[in-house]
Amino acid sequence: MRPIGFSTGALAYSDFRRGLAMLRHKSIHAVELSALREAELAPLIEAIDSLDLSQFAYISVHAPSKYGKEVESRIVNLLRTVSARKWPIILHPETVHDFSVWQSFRGLLLIENMDKRNQTGRTARELELIFAKLPQAGLCFDLGHCRQVDPTMNEAFLILREFGGKLGQLHVSEVNTRSTHDPLSGSSIGAFEKIAHLIPTNVPVILESPVSEADIQVEIDHARKALPVPTSNGNRKREGRTLHTAAI
Amino acid sequence: MRHPNSKDPISLLENRVGERWAAINRARKNAIDTKKAIEKALKGLSSTDASIVVFGSLARKEWTKKSDVDWTLLIDGQADPEHLRVAQDVGQRLRKAKFNPPGTTGIFGNMTFSHDLVQKIGGREDTNENTTRRVLLLQESATFGKSDAYERVVRLLLSRYLKDDYGLRFGSLQYKVPRFLLNDIVRYWRTVTVDFVDKQRGQAGQGWGLRNAKLRMSRKLIFATGMLSCFSCHLLSSPDVRRELTKLHSTVAMEEHLREFTLKTPLEILAAFLLELDIDKRTAVKLFSAYNSFLKLINDESKRERLKKLLPEEIRGDAVFKEVRGYSHQFQDGLTELFFKRHKELQQLTIFYGVF
Repeated sequence: MRPIGFSTGALAYSDFRRGLAMLRHKSIHAVELSALREAELAPLIEAIDSLDLSQFAYISVHAPSKYGKEVESRIVNLLRTVSARKWPIILHPETVHDFSVWQSFRGLLLIENMDKRNQTGRTARELELIFAKLPQAGLCFDLGHCRQVDPTMNEAFLILREFGGKLGQLHVSEVNTRSTHDPLSGSSIGAFEKIAHLIPTNVPVILESPVSEADIQVEIDHARKALPVPTSNGNRKREGRTLHTAAI
Repeated sequence: MRHPNSKDPISLLENRVGERWAAINRARKNAIDTKKAIEKALKGLSSTDASIVVFGSLARKEWTKKSDVDWTLLIDGQADPEHLRVAQDVGQRLRKAKFNPPGTTGIFGNMTFSHDLVQKIGGREDTNENTTRRVLLLQESATFGKSDAYERVVRLLLSRYLKDDYGLRFGSLQYKVPRFLLNDIVRYWRTVTVDFVDKQRGQAGQGWGLRNAKLRMSRKLIFATGMLSCFSCHLLSSPDVRRELTKLHSTVAMEEHLREFTLKTPLEILAAFLLELDIDKRTAVKLFSAYNSFLKLINDESKRERLKKLLPEEIRGDAVFKEVRGYSHQFQDGLTELFFKRHKELQQLTIFYGVF
């Protein structure tokens, strides 16, 4: 069974404490602590020791998605608390001003593929340029972003073929035409299903779908439909029906 | 993967046969310069949801004097009333920059919506305009500014043509040719030839000579290179690409193979095939010198104007028409040699897919 959890930012905008509270007492063992806005990072780092994260087997932290060049070193220093705990750090490549300061995180740094609004990090070819600068970094593969860039999911196939070995975490949600996150729909589930067999089952899945506490389990069920687990004979089992490998 | 040569195949072919095709090279250079000028004029109008796409001679890099700019605003995104204003802005800026507007058919010079292109391949709602835009998008198109929407739609189209082709994916044929796509390319070519006669009737012969010359040369060229692109899946794709298709029934690699062809102009595809299949030098010279002569003629304003005004009943004894007809016969001979006489496997594919 794939480990599936949530981003605190998806559950509670700019409020990691409330996001964590929404996950408490549920059978969810993966979480991404979100500090998407620069101002959120320092309070999160300060609070880490006091947070009850005991239910989670997998924890990552999302670095700020926008910041000035002058604060880059400070952000990297703050994130050393995260890497000291061996938690992965999720980073948007277009935020980077100086790649060299991020190199020390080595494999704990997970570069996220970007949506169509960005001019870099969207495709296998563009990611290749990023990984040339951060050769030890891993990949946080955002399926929603990738589908927005190429709805055929061929680009997803190419990214996984090229960088599957770097895969450290998944981001899953539907990314709409305004490039914001939505809960999974039938069409995004169908699209993700096409490449699910290429994703190892131990890779943590972090949902970025904005849902209410009542809908958390529904969204997890949708994610399980979207990412069925391959069976030993190479087919994929999903809710009582078997899918052939050749969906794409 | 054996894609059309990454170096310029036309220059390589010139070197191989020891010829220089000045009119082709001039048209290509003019197209690149014109594209830069248009890019400057249209700066800031495209977005990630709407690409400005050009077709015709500019996309084929066959730009001659008096060429039109056949363009559309290709929309793939959220509905937005502002798209119409952007499309109008494109037209105004092109007029202001003194570019000839597209013809009056209504196929170009406006908005095109991705949903129709992708969802309506065949069936009652696949109109003549929709087929034209879709096939030309794959065969002779280029984009200005932000290309996101354009690239998404091209990929979606190829994906539909290949993934819905169950014969290609699951069939036992030794040939791996995307028949659904090929049939649409053939259908488009036949539609163009039938519409030629309809326009002859509807427009009382206006522009007949020029349309006839284009039908014999540039329209026929894109039909031929459309077939070659489809045949390339069998003839030029790498063993890995074909293995993925036959063993996993996955078309992803084949779609990527074809996508490389959409980035090439028809003449580049033709040159690449002549090189890759090591086709007899005389056939290559026949094809390219005929096309070179055609472009030279079209670039001559007085001859172009003569063709434009020529009525069907005036062709007998007309020197310009005789000249262009001569080039078209040479071009046709070259195509017949290429498809039927110079390469055994290409001949078999042509008979198998092109005839029945």
